[in-house]
Formats: sequence, structure tokens, C-alpha cells
Amino acid sequence: MTLTLWSLKAGDKCEILDYDDAIAEPYKVRLLEFGFHPGERVVCLQSPAFGAPKVYRVSNTIFSLDDEVAAHVRVKLDA
Amino acid sequence: MPRTLLVGSPNSGKSLLFNRLTGLSQKVANFPGITVDVGTGPLQAMPEMRLVDFPGTYSLQPISAEEQVAVDQFERALADPDVEQVLCVVDATRLEKSLYFTLQVIRDCQRNGKPVTVLANMIDVLDRHGLAFDADGLAAALHAPVLPISARTGRGVDAIVRQLRANAGAPAVGRELADSPDVILRGTAHQLAQRFSPRGDVLVKTQTALDSFFLHSVAGGVAFFVIMYLLFQSIFTWSAPMMDAVEGILGWLASLVVPLIGNDIARDFTADALFSGIGAFLVFVPQIFVLTFVIGLLEDSGYMARAALICHKPLRVFGLTGKSFIPMLSGVACAIPGIYAARAIDSPRKRLLTYMAIPLMPCSARLPVYTLLIAAFIPQGTALGGLVGWQGLAMFSVYFFGMLCALIVTGLVSRASEDHYSDLPFVLELPPYRVPGVMPIMRNSWNRAKHFVTKAGKIIFAVTVGIWILGYFPNYGADLGESWLGQLGHVVEPLFAPIGLDWRYGVAIFTSFLAREVFVGTLGTIFGIEGADEDMVPLVDHIQASGLPIGSGLALLVFFAIALMCVSTLAILARESRSVSLTLKMAGGYFLLAYLAALGVYNLAALFTG
Repeated sequence: MTLTLWSLKAGDKCEILDYDDAIAEPYKVRLLEFGFHPGERVVCLQSPAFGAPKVYRVSNTIFSLDDEVAAHVRVKLDA
Repeated sequence: MPRTLLVGSPNSGKSLLFNRLTGLSQKVANFPGITVDVGTGPLQAMPEMRLVDFPGTYSLQPISAEEQVAVDQFERALADPDVEQVLCVVDATRLEKSLYFTLQVIRDCQRNGKPVTVLANMIDVLDRHGLAFDADGLAAALHAPVLPISARTGRGVDAIVRQLRANAGAPAVGRELADSPDVILRGTAHQLAQRFSPRGDVLVKTQTALDSFFLHSVAGGVAFFVIMYLLFQSIFTWSAPMMDAVEGILGWLASLVVPLIGNDIARDFTADALFSGIGAFLVFVPQIFVLTFVIGLLEDSGYMARAALICHKPLRVFGLTGKSFIPMLSGVACAIPGIYAARAIDSPRKRLLTYMAIPLMPCSARLPVYTLLIAAFIPQGTALGGLVGWQGLAMFSVYFFGMLCALIVTGLVSRASEDHYSDLPFVLELPPYRVPGVMPIMRNSWNRAKHFVTKAGKIIFAVTVGIWILGYFPNYGADLGESWLGQLGHVVEPLFAPIGLDWRYGVAIFTSFLAREVFVGTLGTIFGIEGADEDMVPLVDHIQASGLPIGSGLALLVFFAIALMCVSTLAILARESRSVSLTLKMAGGYFLLAYLAALGVYNLAALFTG
């Protein structure tokens, strides 16, 4: 099963692989502008309860993404 | 006058720099997307040059219609011969967030022959962490000068002024990027960010620790409710003395001025239209000031972004966003500060839905109307051994009904106009926590209150005078029932007859358009009861004795829970949404919905009461 940013738990570290085809192009463009590039390292800092948006760190910036966005970013967990 | 454009990505400290360079007080906050208007002002060090502060944006490749408008505005400004040069602010601690936009700005400046200077802000933060920043290397790579600055401490401001002077009348720098498409620039930005981003951790551990608390499933939820309770209390409790003071001062002024006026009409106009009319909207000013101040504290502390995150999931079900929560909560006190607070919602679609929700939130102006109707129609008895009072339950129900209506309306509208691609994704930058700067927030709160008085005041005053003329003539205020307003009440009586109401209630509903609580005072005047807005008991007795059916009372409760009967709210809605059409559609739509719901409730009640 392909892992996505949304499937990460707090503390998980990963590398972005790519985006799936279902993501809306404008969403993809905005994520790329924010630094969510393939090959970039991401840390999941918070995974709040009840399906609330999760908190990710990319470089020195912290973003919150909801499942509509994060579920389309495929990642590879750090070993 | 020659102009310099100031651009940058959201939360890059651009507005703080604008204030430092101009000495003005454009709103600044620790929350992305705070600058929504274009601000201008002369530079303090070069009074012959005007600085134009553009709203922050992440790129010049728009993904929504609203972003397209902002980008078009920037492109038009670049082509303007009066615009001499551009300052582009980047956050030096988070270069990867800003460089794509910066490259787009440099490219467009080169195409238009305008010099651009890149300002690497927040250099003080890098210094604090002992991190180096290669400004010269980045300048060479960008083909534009890069100045390390700190808008917070003032470091580098002199260098900006020197660069502005050097750039004045100078040709554009090269054409290296002029033909580069966006996709190339995005790749270049990524490479530059990897090469020039500070090597080190500028996110202090306390931020992660605070997030662990404020976003915790239990502790975070408790903290959220405590903070929101304090915010809500602030609107009612902290602003109450100031609201009393406004009323007191106006009353005192009226007592001084009115007796000096000899002409009867002028005296009545001054007392009723001028002082009472102006007082009816000036009384909102303290609430706007206090709420803007408290929201400013939350934004500047960094908590606001976390609150939006916490509320996002449940509100998304109804087509809203987490950023809708604060405006809607504010709307429970007063719709006007709520509408102002909706500025922070970056998604135009969700901001529109929030505008639709706010007027349905049970604002404090509805309270006197609810109190009167509940006292007149709901028995005082209790149930469950005294635990539940019928009147208290009715008050809770009508409050809950308003909130439920707001969510149902936004839920239905969002599903009826599903347009996913015109919307913005929920990607929220979480700014660092910090101690709020009280003085800038005070200045902004003052500016917001001033905006309300100067911009909405004219419309509100015009409507107030119009209704006063209708109620005063042709019998010079002797009898409201015989006035043009009373005659209008008779004309529209057939409209209200199906819910068991006669012309007197029609007139009171009309006048409540000034402010909902005016309904109580108008009914008192029509029934010949003085001071009904201070002491409702005689009016309650009168309504009960008049034999008005309970169905009509319940219908009125439902009507006031839905109808957008507030000229101040409409005036601000038109200003903030920049759409008179939307405002009129909302006013008409909610009036129709309120009327139909009232009709339904009246007929339902008739089934039970015969």
C-alpha cells in the first residue's frame, strides 16, 4: 500500500515521492510553491485526534494540511 | 509622485517593514494573509516617494479568481510609468517559501524595465541562532541586489533607503529571467533554496512543545474552549462599560444641545434622528474595538492559526473552514466585528459562506426581542423538578436554532455550488509563537473602529434619517400610527396577516431594520407605553392582553432568528464583500426564508392550539 502524508503519525519522518493523479492541479501548484517537492524531507509533528488537519515540517516552515490535500502526496518512510 | 511597490509572500514581515519605512500603521500580525488591501504612504526618509504595500501572495501564478485580481493589479502597477521600482520582501529563515515568488517578481520587473531589490527580512532571527546568510551569493544568483534586514529591529533600513535612491531613474537590471516560464522558475527556486537556505534549525523547541499542548486531543480542546470563552466574554463584558459610556456621552450631549433648538422639527430631528440614530450605530464601536484587539492578540501570538486547525474538520462538513470559527463566534455578539474578522479567510468561496453564516448567528441585538416575545408567550413554569425552566429552554432553543440555520444554509449552498477547483486548499502555515505587540494591535483596533464609523456611518445615517422622516411626517411626530410609516404598515398588513400580525407589528418590523432591538421601543410607542425598551413588563402585559395567538409569537421569534434586519450589518457586508448585489441578495433571501419559516411555525402552532 502506498503511504501518503496523511497516513503519517506524529514523529514520522519521510521523503516525498510524488503526487497522485487525483490531486487538483491548483492544489499541487500551491504545495510545490510551499516547498513540498519530490525528494524533500518532511516530518509529521502533530497528528491531532478526530481527523483534524495534521502538522508537517518542511525545512524551517511548519504547515497544516487536511486530508483533501495530504492524502494525495505519496511518501516513503525513513527506515 | 514616483512610487515604489512593496511585495512579498504572506507572513514575511512586509507590513511591519511598510510601517517602519512610512511611519504609518498598516495592520501587522503573526498570521498569514493579513494584508488584504493595498496601503500607500510616503517614505519617511524620501517624502517625494510613495510606498505601495501589496497584499502578500505566494506566487504570481494565481489558483483562484481572487488571486487573479491581485496579480492583475500588480501587473498593471508594474506597467505604470509612475512606478519606479520594486522592493520584494522574503523571509530569510524560510527562503524555500519565498524564492519562487521572488523570481517571478524579478522576471516581471525585467520585462517592464523596473529595478527590483530583494529584502531578506528576519535576519535578526538568524543572528540569534548563530546562522549565516549569504546575501552576496544570493544576489548574484538572482541577478538583483539582496539586502539583509530586520523590519522588527530596524537593521538594514538605511541600506534600503540608499538602494532606493540609487535605483531612482536607473534602468532595469538585465534580462536574464525575462523569458523564463513559471515551470523553469519553480525549479530554479527549489535549487536556490537548497543552496542558500540557512543551514540550521531556527524553529525553537518551545514551539513544538507549545503545539504539543495546544493541539493535544484533550489539553488542546480544553485550552481552545477556555480561550474562546474569554474571547466571547471580552465582547460582552469588556466592551459593556465603553458602550455605556458612549450612550452616556451622547445622552449628555443631547441634553445640552436639544433644549437650545427653538424650531420644533429641528429639535425632534436632532433628538431622535441625530442623537438616537447616531447612537444606535456608535454603540457598536466599543465591541468592534475590543473584538479586533482580542483577535489581534490571538493572531499575533500565533494561536489563531492553531484555532483554525482545531475547528477545521467539523466546519468543513458545512462547507466552511477552520478560519470561519472566530468570525462566526464573534457574530454571536455582533455580526459587524464578525464580518470584519472574516477578512482573514483566504479562500473566497469559504469567506462568502462565512458571510452567509454570520448574520444567522444569534447576535446580542436579538436578545431584547427574544426576551420580550418569550416573556409574552412562553409560560414561566418549570419541568423536571425545577431543573428546566420553559422560558430558559425557549431562549436556548432560539439561540441554537440560529446557529443551526447558519450551518444548514452554508452546508446546502456549498453543496449546491460545488466548485472544487475555484477553491483554495487547506494548507495553513503555522507561524511561530511570540509575545503579541500590544501597541500595533491597539492602533489597528482604532483604525478598524474608525473604518466602521467613516465608511458605514454614511449609509446608516441616511437610512436612519429616511425612517425618521417616514415616522415623523405628516403629523409632526404626534402619532406614529398616523405617520407615513404607519400608513406603510397598513399597506403591508396583508403581508403579515397570514402569520396573525396586524399593521402595528409590521411597522415595528420595519423600524427594526435600523437595529433589531428598535422593535421593542417601536411597539411600546405604538401601544402608548413609554420606556418599553427599559422596562418591558407593561408591554408584555399589553401584548398578552391583546389576545395575540402564541403561534404569532413563535413566528416572530423564528422571523427574527433568520431575518437580516440590521442596516449596520448590511452596510459593512457591502463594504467588506465589495458587492452590493450579494448584500441585497442576502437581505432579500433571508427575509423570504424568515417569512416562510414564520408562516410554517404559525400554521404548525395553529394545528395544536386550534
